[in-house]
Amino acid sequence: MNRKVRFALFFTAMGPGIVTAFADNDAGGIATYASAGAKYGYSLIFIMLVSTVLLAIAQEISARTGAVTGRGLSDLIRENYGVKWTFFAMSVLLIANLGTTASEFSGIATSFEIFGVSKYLSVPAMAFIIRWLVIKTDYGKMEKILLFLCLTFFSYVISGIMVNPPWPQVFVASVTPTFSGTPTFLLMAIGVIGTTITPWGQFYVQSSVVDKGITAKEYGYTRWDVLIGTFFTGFIAFFIIVATAATLFINKIPIETAKDVALALKPLAGQYATFLFAFGLLGASMLAAFVLPLSTAYAVCEAFGFEHGISKSHKEAPVFFGLYTALIVLGAAIVLWPKLSLYHVMLTTQVVNGVLLPPILIFMVLIASKKSIMGEYVNTKFFNIISWAFTFILIFLTLLLLVSTLFPQFVSNIFSFLGL
Amino acid sequence: MNDLKVLGEFYFSQLANKRIWDAKGRRVGRLLDMAMRWDSISPHVTGIQYAKGLHTLIPIGWVGSWDTDGLRLNTTFDPLLTCPMHEDETLIGKWLLDKQIIDLEGSRLVRVNDISLSWVSHEDHQYLVLVAVDIGVRGLFRRLGVEFLLSGFANNFVGCQYIKPLENRTSALQLTREKEQLLQLHPADIADIIETMDYRQRANFLDTLDSQQAIEALTEMELDAQVEMINQMDEGRASDILEEMPPDEAADILGELPLEKSEEILRLMESDDAEDVRELMQYEENTAGSLMTTEYIGLRFWLTTEQAINELRRLAPDAETIYYLYVVDEQETLEGVLSLRQLIIAAPETPLKDIMQTKIVKISPYDDHETVADIIHKYGLLAAPVVNDHNQILGIITVDDVLELLMPERPREEILSSLIALRHQKKGGYSE
Repeated sequence: MNRKVRFALFFTAMGPGIVTAFADNDAGGIATYASAGAKYGYSLIFIMLVSTVLLAIAQEISARTGAVTGRGLSDLIRENYGVKWTFFAMSVLLIANLGTTASEFSGIATSFEIFGVSKYLSVPAMAFIIRWLVIKTDYGKMEKILLFLCLTFFSYVISGIMVNPPWPQVFVASVTPTFSGTPTFLLMAIGVIGTTITPWGQFYVQSSVVDKGITAKEYGYTRWDVLIGTFFTGFIAFFIIVATAATLFINKIPIETAKDVALALKPLAGQYATFLFAFGLLGASMLAAFVLPLSTAYAVCEAFGFEHGISKSHKEAPVFFGLYTALIVLGAAIVLWPKLSLYHVMLTTQVVNGVLLPPILIFMVLIASKKSIMGEYVNTKFFNIISWAFTFILIFLTLLLLVSTLFPQFVSNIFSFLGL
Repeated sequence: MNDLKVLGEFYFSQLANKRIWDAKGRRVGRLLDMAMRWDSISPHVTGIQYAKGLHTLIPIGWVGSWDTDGLRLNTTFDPLLTCPMHEDETLIGKWLLDKQIIDLEGSRLVRVNDISLSWVSHEDHQYLVLVAVDIGVRGLFRRLGVEFLLSGFANNFVGCQYIKPLENRTSALQLTREKEQLLQLHPADIADIIETMDYRQRANFLDTLDSQQAIEALTEMELDAQVEMINQMDEGRASDILEEMPPDEAADILGELPLEKSEEILRLMESDDAEDVRELMQYEENTAGSLMTTEYIGLRFWLTTEQAINELRRLAPDAETIYYLYVVDEQETLEGVLSLRQLIIAAPETPLKDIMQTKIVKISPYDDHETVADIIHKYGLLAAPVVNDHNQILGIITVDDVLELLMPERPREEILSSLIALRHQKKGGYSE
């Protein structure tokens, strides 16, 4: 194969990984990373970097399964584990995605509030527009515009370099495992993992690989797509933490609302920092708010065999449109609750994502290690060991969070006993 | 059939995982799956898989009674007397439950939620017969153990005579009955079904179609799906299929493939078919040339109507339309046109040049699509000839081709191609 052909093939396979990567740094992602930086300085960079590596592994498994089987994850769960397990997995996905949809609407509300528009106006309006546009317009074009808005997050990279943080210290913190048993730290850590590796991201990347018609033969290019996408997720997350740590953590400014996160962009944009932030947040939130409810409705309908597809009429596919609408309406309604802190919605939903991730991971790894499904593309032992280890660590962290919230004294005693 | 009696009706989900006891009251195992044979009329259960990892079955004849607790055998269980699974048997749970099948009655892909079985007696024999698969919500709730929530709902069954599983029961067996059932589907329906499948299912399914059906179905598909299908075939198979497709469709498909692949396919195609396609591929996308087909009927001007009708018999099977006949000379220069009606009602001895019309509406291969549509619409034609500067006929554009252009843009289709898991849609033509 000459180089030109190979290049062309690479670009046709490009896409699923990169879109997922940018949608990963959504409203919840920005809020979580910024909060991690502002509250704990550079110390959570280590957990963020580890979860980025794990994200690469998880996305690789999903993309490979999609390319080899030509099927979505929910389809495979249904055919291999039956109705009850599917029901369980779909319930998990629905709860996680309802939360994430709410966090996207919080992002939308926040960015409009920066421009002085009340959430009681912006959220219903945007919910209506999303519900309407997805069916009426060309999604491809929409996606490009929104991705372009997401590029504004690169301003965190520039800002992070401009504040000139103490790089040796940042580097040391990046490779030093930091841990603490307090509920707030655990919440933050699970939030960081949960926002980097999301349940919906796994379903999404697999189904878009399938939708693009990528087969096992072309899979090599998709692997690069996934790896490059993951790199950007981690790259931007790293600089958000650095920028917020160097501006907010150092000056002991706590983040009360998402607007405070924009302060970290001051070195770059000065007085326009909040506007820059608002545009980026709007783009990321809209992108995810488009994709999420739809991909959830697809996954659920595919698993249970309900008619689905946006080319269908409401009468032909009532469950599909019902679910889709319900997710948007409920997601928006949560945000409209009076006196609710939008910022906390974004943070909490990421923790929920982190807690709900293990069940989905278990199904993914089980399927990818079945020789009867994956043939020669089955998971290697090395991959399996890492995936299982990660799954159990996440479950352990979740349990620890539960225990430390209920009995704070107990966990800190154990930690002090262990000398941590 | 006079003494056919139904003794009981079950769902697979009600039997699955039930305990099995033998006549002495010893526990034998659990009902894990049931083996089935589908030889003559209806598919019937032949044995029960009772333990994990074991490939031997309890013959169905041993089963004495069923109830909510489990199954009771009418003999003493002896593992040595169990029988192995035969080659023409298949496990229903593994083969059907939770899988996608083609509902031949509704011409669509559906998922099996449960399986309905009947316990019938016929001429002193008792059979457990597979009656239908349950594709409804009620079946789903039954599997979850909450069927009572939907007790007012009707079940949604597909009779076993109307199902076509995507995976063959046994690798060796492919019943002719199934092929005949598929023959009854319209190619457009087959195309819809194929478009909702994943690529492995497609490959399997295409193998079960005869080649003519595969070609017709492929012709009915949207271009995107066609390209995907051809791209996933090996070059040999692809060239066989493209040879038989209308050259304009083949050219459209090849134009979308990577250059290397399309060259390889063209090389494998028969040379005159390949040449037609190559010729069509040279035209830009928005021109009349890209729209036309080379399969028109050209008749020499010196023929009599009788000779022409004989010639028509020979040419008609390959032609896109036979309602318009084009009269040409040795250099394929367009001399005139006549309709099928004019040809038939003229006296047998009349030379064509006496009845043909010489005032011809022509299209240049470089005209854009809009011009083509305007011309065909204005003159109310079924087809119009495309000619070059020397008035030589290159091909024709039929009203079908134009109709495809004029159908309002379907943005939904485009959303679909780019959005996530949207592969399970049917063509948007009839929705809303």
